[in-house]
Parts: sequence; C-alpha cells; structure tokens
Amino acid sequence: MDASLILWMIGAATLAVGIYTFIGFIPGTDETSVLLPITLAVVLAGVQPIVVLTFFIASIVTLNLTNIMPTAIVNLPGGVMSSAMIEHSLFIKKSGKTAEVIKKMVAASALGVFISIPLSLFLALFLTPFAESIVPYAPYLFIGGAVFLSLISKAKVLSLMAIVPLGILFMSLRHLYWGTGVVEEGTTITVSFFLGITVGPLLVSLFRLLNPKTYEASIIENKSTITIPKKDPDTSNNPFKLLSKEERSHASLGALIVNFFFVLSPVGLTILIGESFNKRFKDPLKKATMSVTTMSAVVQATYLSGIIIPLLALGIPLSPVAIGPGNALFRADPVFTLDNNLHHLLGFSEFTLAVVLGALIALALSYTLIARYALSITKAVMHYIPHEAVLALFIAFIVLLAYMDAGLINIFGVMLIGLISGTLNRMGVNYGIQFMSLYAAPQVVAILIGGF
Amino acid sequence: MKKALLNLWGDVVETKALVFSILIILTLTMGAHLLAPSDNDTLGLFFGIGGAMVGFVLSAMLFKPQRIIREQERD
Repeated sequence: MDASLILWMIGAATLAVGIYTFIGFIPGTDETSVLLPITLAVVLAGVQPIVVLTFFIASIVTLNLTNIMPTAIVNLPGGVMSSAMIEHSLFIKKSGKTAEVIKKMVAASALGVFISIPLSLFLALFLTPFAESIVPYAPYLFIGGAVFLSLISKAKVLSLMAIVPLGILFMSLRHLYWGTGVVEEGTTITVSFFLGITVGPLLVSLFRLLNPKTYEASIIENKSTITIPKKDPDTSNNPFKLLSKEERSHASLGALIVNFFFVLSPVGLTILIGESFNKRFKDPLKKATMSVTTMSAVVQATYLSGIIIPLLALGIPLSPVAIGPGNALFRADPVFTLDNNLHHLLGFSEFTLAVVLGALIALALSYTLIARYALSITKAVMHYIPHEAVLALFIAFIVLLAYMDAGLINIFGVMLIGLISGTLNRMGVNYGIQFMSLYAAPQVVAILIGGF
Repeated sequence: MKKALLNLWGDVVETKALVFSILIILTLTMGAHLLAPSDNDTLGLFFGIGGAMVGFVLSAMLFKPQRIIREQERD
C-alpha cells in the first residue's frame, strides 16, 4: 500500500463528512435513499475498493452523528433512525436541557462507534470459517430472516402473511421486464425496488392527497413552530466524561448487544434497546436522557455491525443495512457482483484499515463541526431549506434510479411497489421485513412452483 | 391552485410549493440524466444527481419553508 492510496482514503472520508454533515442536518432525509445513490456513484466511478469502503464507513458514521442535531435541536427527525428519539428529545427540550443532552448524545454516538468496530470485526472473523457452509443457504436465510423479523415485530401474523405476496410482486415485475425485453433475462433488478419500499409510506400519503375529499380534510391552518435554543452545545470537554457512569454503561451495553443481532432491523433494535433500558428510571428527565444516549450509541452500532459483519465474513448482503443503504458495496454492476465485491477484493488488514480510518476521520471532523457550528447550521437549514424541496429530492432520486434500472416502465413499476409496500407499512409490516422479502423473492417463487 | 398547508412526513408543506418543487427537481434530474451519453451509466448517474442538486437549490431559492422560528430565551 502506498502513500497516495492513504491520501485517497483520507480524501474520500473528508468528502463523505462534507456531504453527509450537510444532509444529516436536513430533517426527514431517509438514510437509505441518501446513502445508496451516492455510494453507487462512488463505486461506479471506479475508485479503488479500499477507498469505497472508507467513504462508506465515514458516510454512515457522519450521518448517524449529525442526524442527532435536527432531532435534538428542533425535534424533527434527522432520518428514519432518529424518529425513535423524537418523543424523548421533545421532553428534554421542554425541560430546557437540550444543550447539555446533545453533548451526551454525541459522546454516546462516538462510544457506539468505538465499541462496535472491534466487536463486529471480531464477530466477522469468527463467522468467516462458516461462510462457505452458510452462503449456499443464503436464499433460505433470507426467507428465514423475513420470518424471524415478522415474529419479533408487533404485527406478527400480518407480516408473515405479507412475505409471499410481496415476493410475487417483485418477481412478477422482473419477469415482465424479461418477457418484454426491457432488460436482459436474468438481470436482477434490486436497487430501485427497495427504494420503492423506502418511499412507500410517503407515496401513499401523497396519493391519498390526490383524492380531493381527503385533500380538503388534510388542510391545516398553522405553519410549524420551531424553537431553537440560543446557546451552542459546548462540546469542548473530553466527550467521555460528559456521560454519567450509568449512561456510559447503558450505552456501551446497548451497542455491544446489537452487534450480535446484525441481521435485525436497525430501527427495530434501536427502539427495542432504547425503550427497555430506560424502564427502571422513574425521574422522567433521567429516563428521557438515558433513552436518547443509549439510542445514539445503538444507532451507530447497528449500522456498523450490519455492514461490517456481512461484508467481511460472507460477501452477501445478509442484514437490513447491507440490503438497504450498503447494497452498492455488494452489488453494483458491472463493478461489483455477488461473486466479486469488497469481500473478495479486500484482505482483513485492508478492510480494518479502511473501517478504522473512515470512522476516525468522520468522528473527528464532524465532532469539530458540531461543537462549533451545530446551532448555526440548524438555524440556516430551518430558515432556508424548505421541506417541500427535501421531499421532492427524495422522489427525484428514486425516479432516476428506477429509470436507470429498467427504463420508463420501471418508474411505474416502482410506483406500484411503493403503493403496496407503503400500505403494508402503514398496516404494520416494517421496512426490515419488506427488504428481506425482496431478497427472498426468487426462492419464495421457486418453492411455490417446484417445492423445496 | 389555492395556497394550502399540509402536514407531511413530520413537517408542514405548502401544496403549490410541493407540486412545483417536485416538477422542478424531477425535470432537472431527468433532463440532466438524458443529456449524459446513454451508454455510460456512471456519467448518467452523476449527471442525474447533479441535476437534482441544481433543482434542490432552485426550489430552496423559490420557496420559503413553512416554519415559524423562535429563539428560546433560556437553555
């Protein structure tokens, strides 16, 4: 490895911090739809595999850290992951403790990174010897994953019932495109399909408004009122001293546990851990603080373990993070395929170097930015970035990727997926189950036709 | 179209601004994408994302957020 490659990696990480600090501060930017297209662009641009990994790790660490800001400062979720923290951060703000708690959240977020990187690298090494025997069963693992996620979700029977119809939906579109010659037979369209799942709930809301009756009934009178604290979160002290002993141990334990459950949905895990760890605290402020600090650590840990373990140990996307935002690291035709991706191209030491370097640069830079500019950036975003433009950008990204995957017809194909997925989502079938169903689809259909 | 406020995805939007933002950003994204050489997926994606960014900035300049911002006295 030469010095120029290291410089490339540092450059890529810095670029990622620049891009995702900005995006992170904008509320309502869905993680998958902002991570995937840009990562895909970096992969397709043909940069070295190790630089791609550095970029991606820096991206997720930065995004998860900066998403805390809109959540805590103006109580609008920075992304899907931070929606779990809204209620608690609202309470903290009402108690006038935002500036103090933000510091704790940032420290906990960093703690989550420091715990989950070594642990998930270790877990990946532990799993590697079994990879050869696991990979052939991957199609069944995806079905198993969808079933398992259904069983631990709130709407168990509904979610189980949704797996097969969803599989048929995805496969029928693929076969339609093959049959009409829109794409070559055997080309598996995935990226735009799961963005369809992601945009589902928003699409359903928008389509409902196209009915004049529903539209009239949805009109409201008032703009949203946003209160911004005056003082900057002063993060100049040693971040780890900011957490109380209890907060530190809860955040660490949470980040530790989720590494072992990397196949589960990150949002689900964050809510599960965050809400079960705060139970024994009676004082409401303490309870809220404990929840948001634990969640901040857990969010980082779910993302890092969800990408590191499947990528290093298996090379197939066997976690919601790998299937969703990290998909381009596994499959990005023609650069990466399931037989030739970062898993095959990087050795353990290169892999570790990319992960550590990406995470450290991201933490150091975004921490500095947050310490100095968190309030001014938030104020600027609130003043100048309309929510309309954010939603429109989200839609445009998805239309673009749908078109690139399979032309004009796929824009409507993805719309169909969005409407069905969004409706199911509203009913209680969460994203994780739907993503897993997408990956399980070929096997589900094969079983229906020919048995096991 | 009348001006009307809606609560959508956690914040308030104005219908006309939303419709025009979607039209502007979508047109610029797809327009830029179609300008790229059709045999090059990488350039196509870059052009598309570039168009989306231009559209985003344009919408942000054209439309004001539907937010009333207050500074908290004590925190």
